Amino acid sequence: MRRTRSSSSEASWKDPAPGQVRVYIWELPIRVSHWVMVLSILSLSITGYYMHSPYMVAGGRTAFVMGTMRFVHLLSAFAFTAAFLLRLVWFFLGNRWARLDQYFPTTKKRAKGLVAVGKYYAFMAWSPIAYIGHNPMAGAAYVAVYGMVIVEILTGFALYSQVLGSRYLNFCIGWLPRLIDIQWLREIHFLLMFGFWMFFIHHLYTAILISIEEESGIMDSIFSGYKFVPEDDLRKDMAEWDGPPAQLRTVPSPVVSTEARGSGSPPAA
Amino acid sequence: MNDVSPEVELGSVLKAHGISRRQFVKFCSLMTATLALPPRYVHAVVKALEKTTRPVLVWLEFQDCAGNSESMLRSPHPGVGDFVLELLSWEYHELIMAGSGKHAEDALERVVRDCKGEYICVVEGAIPTEDGGVYCTIGGKTALDIARHVTSNAAINIAVGACAWDGGLVKAAPNPTGALGLHEAVPGIQNLVNLGGCPHNPVNTAAVLVHYLTFHELPALDQYNRPLFAYGNIIHDQCERRAHYDAGRYVEEWGDEGSRKGWCLYKMGCKGPEATYNCPAVRWNDATSWPVKAGHGCIACASPRFWDTKSPFYNRLPKVPGFGVDVKAEEIGWIGTGAVAAAMVAQVIGNAVRDKTRPKDLEDKEDESSDSH
Repeated sequence: MRRTRSSSSEASWKDPAPGQVRVYIWELPIRVSHWVMVLSILSLSITGYYMHSPYMVAGGRTAFVMGTMRFVHLLSAFAFTAAFLLRLVWFFLGNRWARLDQYFPTTKKRAKGLVAVGKYYAFMAWSPIAYIGHNPMAGAAYVAVYGMVIVEILTGFALYSQVLGSRYLNFCIGWLPRLIDIQWLREIHFLLMFGFWMFFIHHLYTAILISIEEESGIMDSIFSGYKFVPEDDLRKDMAEWDGPPAQLRTVPSPVVSTEARGSGSPPAA
Repeated sequence: MNDVSPEVELGSVLKAHGISRRQFVKFCSLMTATLALPPRYVHAVVKALEKTTRPVLVWLEFQDCAGNSESMLRSPHPGVGDFVLELLSWEYHELIMAGSGKHAEDALERVVRDCKGEYICVVEGAIPTEDGGVYCTIGGKTALDIARHVTSNAAINIAVGACAWDGGLVKAAPNPTGALGLHEAVPGIQNLVNLGGCPHNPVNTAAVLVHYLTFHELPALDQYNRPLFAYGNIIHDQCERRAHYDAGRYVEEWGDEGSRKGWCLYKMGCKGPEATYNCPAVRWNDATSWPVKAGHGCIACASPRFWDTKSPFYNRLPKVPGFGVDVKAEEIGWIGTGAVAAAMVAQVIGNAVRDKTRPKDLEDKEDESSDSH
């Protein structure tokens, strides 16, 4: 049977069901970077759309609508860039599930998993395949998203360097407007915003879907960092891990599972 | 110095044209201000120009509309053009010279021969290279040959207008004549100043000449060999309508209330935010007006390859390749986002059906055999 939290009525929402462990998957920098990106993309979209096509007419003699929009856009852009840099660093300092191999489906196993997950979304399989970290398709999707993030940051700073006229920023990014005309940078910068919107819709949908189907607490995990996973799955997953020894924070089930009872030492007579 | 440029004192030449000393000093002040030099340099400019020996200038026209020549000449008396015409000895300029045919071409040849390394060469118009450069020939010689010959012997070369700088309209797609700007047509050209713009602003061109006559060197140039004093600042930052931009007041359509009140032309496709030029400061026709002041958006005529890179002139963003002419970028974005949302709704329905139809015994079976992860 599927080991779900709901199968044990004694457990509180924090207590794993028998055979399950509550594992700390998403470390704090991952969650901070995630939520800063969410909020900054929201703010960047609202202000950026105004900067592309001012959708309200300012009234009053002291209005400073565009000026404010641009200021908020810039602040959000710096927050966004900082969040992305934090995430980049955590590719190398993070735990097993934050590492680069979770994103690029380079191993045969991950590539096969990509097809299997694709089959589930194409309604060619009955149930989703549970992964403790990202599934291979999600990982690959995030590679595309981070690609968009890089392009947005580069084009954004190229546009900013023209406004700022700072020689330091020009030194860093001044090569880009010489390769691609500033008008095209603007176009790319604007069109990619819709890419983030498309991703957001899809991301929210899959998060809700997997939360319902797998009952692993995936939706809670981006707040708390913890997911509920079968003990066997975790053991198998860690056996494949050849990186630095993982400092796992796990919470075992308070209810002794039937298997554990069966295999454990017999109670003293 | 040479036989083509008799040494005449500038003061008497100006007097002969009815230009007083006061007007001359005013001109020097204008030049100093345009060059962004401190006011104390006015004295140096006046002294240097008074002593000028009127170096020889030749003005070559290739694939052009003579718009830059017109811009130079059509200014009220005593305009910038008057001074520039008197400061230098113009030996060859097809539009304004009296001679024609062989005599005219001989005059050019004489300058190249006798004033080698001393004369100033101004080029107007693009240079065709397709089919051996046959699309522009003068006196049986191609524009390319003339340009190579004349520019390589000049003290300084000045490319005026968008066409001479980077090909301008002539080089715009599909460029049937293989037109090139001067620096592309004559690679390795020395002492080149590019004065882009359609047309060039005669005040800037005069200022470059005055700078050269005063300091005997070229003004500070940017990566495109354009003088920084003229091309170093964004139009948007110097625009008199900028306050309306920051406030959020925009012209929505031609002739509307905002248009009459002089609001920002951003939504009408003004390219001021991405163009650099001193147009708003120097202006045109004796500093009367400039396009944005007159109510039309900037088309970034002083930006690289502006016909190709800045069009459409009346839209914020270029046309997205692969879509129809009238399809805007935001329409593509909204439709794409809507399509993804629709696909997700279809997924939700599909999942509801899958949950209802999933066989009851499947879960146990999958649990036992699932080793795929």
